[in-house]
Amino acid sequence: MSIPGDEQFTYSPNRELESAAKVRALEALLIEKGVIGSETVNKVLEYFESQMGPFNGAKLVAKAWVDPAFKELLIQDCNEACNSIGMTTGMSGAEGEHMRVAENTPSVHNLIICTLCSCYPWPTLGLPPYWYKDPTFRARAAREPRKVLQEFGLNLDNSINIRVWDSSGQIRWWVLPERPAGTEHMSEEELAALVTPESMMGVAKVALP
Amino acid sequence: MFTRFEHFAASSLMGSEESPPRKNGQLSFQRSWEQVAFAIAIALSKKGHYEWEEFRQNLISTIGEWESDHDLADPTWNYYQRWYTVLEKLVLETGLVDKSELDEKLINLLSCEHLHDDSTES
Repeated sequence: MSIPGDEQFTYSPNRELESAAKVRALEALLIEKGVIGSETVNKVLEYFESQMGPFNGAKLVAKAWVDPAFKELLIQDCNEACNSIGMTTGMSGAEGEHMRVAENTPSVHNLIICTLCSCYPWPTLGLPPYWYKDPTFRARAAREPRKVLQEFGLNLDNSINIRVWDSSGQIRWWVLPERPAGTEHMSEEELAALVTPESMMGVAKVALP
Repeated sequence: MFTRFEHFAASSLMGSEESPPRKNGQLSFQRSWEQVAFAIAIALSKKGHYEWEEFRQNLISTIGEWESDHDLADPTWNYYQRWYTVLEKLVLETGLVDKSELDEKLINLLSCEHLHDDSTES
C-alpha cells in the first residue's frame, strides 16, 4: 500500500499508516466519550508552538539591537527589561529566579553551561538541545571552551576572550549575541527571526540566512 | 515552580533518553499523528487521569524494552511509536476506554478509509 506523491509514506508505509490510524481512532473515541474536547489537541499544540520556543529570547535580543536604552536595561536587570515589554516573569522563564544576560562584543564571547541541574531558561531560549545536559559537554565547555566551540563550527580568533557562565538555581544566564553586519536595514521583527537558541547559548553566532 | 502544566510536563522529559526530538528550541514532529499523540498524553494527565510521572516512567521502560530488542542503529526507531504504546496502555489501564471499543473504532476508521479510497479511484 503506498500513496504516490506523498513523501511521508515512502518509508515503512504500513507501520506509519497503522500508527496514524491508531492515534486517530483513540482521539476520536476520547472526543466521543467527552474525555477531551475537539479542540484539546490543538490547544496543547498551540501552547508548545507559541510559548515553548526561543521566540521570547529572540524578541529581547532584536529589541536590544535596535534600542540602546533597552539593551542597557536588559544587561543591568533582565527581569525588569522583560516586565517593561509586558513579558511576565513566567513567560520569560525567570520564575522568581534571576536571569542575567552576558553580552558578546568584538573582544568577548560568552558561553553558558549548567553543571548542576536544569537551569535552562526555557520560555526564553526554547527547549534545550540534547547535548546541553550531557556531562561531557558541560565539563569540557568549562575546561576547554575554545576547543568545544571549534567542534560546534565556531572558530574564534585567539584574541577573543571567552567567558563561560555556569547557570544555577539562582541565576540563569543567557547570551546577547552580536548583531551581524549587513542587517542595518532590517526591522526588529526581521532581526528576531535570525536569532537562534544556539546563538543565545553562545555556541553559534547570529548569521544572515 | 512552573506556570503551566505543559511546561512542567515537557521539562520533566528533558535531559535523558525519554526526551522528545527537538529542533531549534522547539519540539520536532515528523508526522501529524505524532503531534496528536503528544497532545493527548499531556491533556489526559493535565485532567488528572494519570500522573505525569507515571507516563514518564512507562515511557522510559518502553524505550528500554525497544532498545534491548533492537540494534541501537535500527532505522525503524520512532520515538512517538513508543509514546503511543504508553498512551494506549494508560488509557486502557485507567479504564478511559476499553480494548474492544478501541479496536472497533480502528476497524471502522480503516474501513471508512477503504471506501473513501475506492470512491476517489472510480
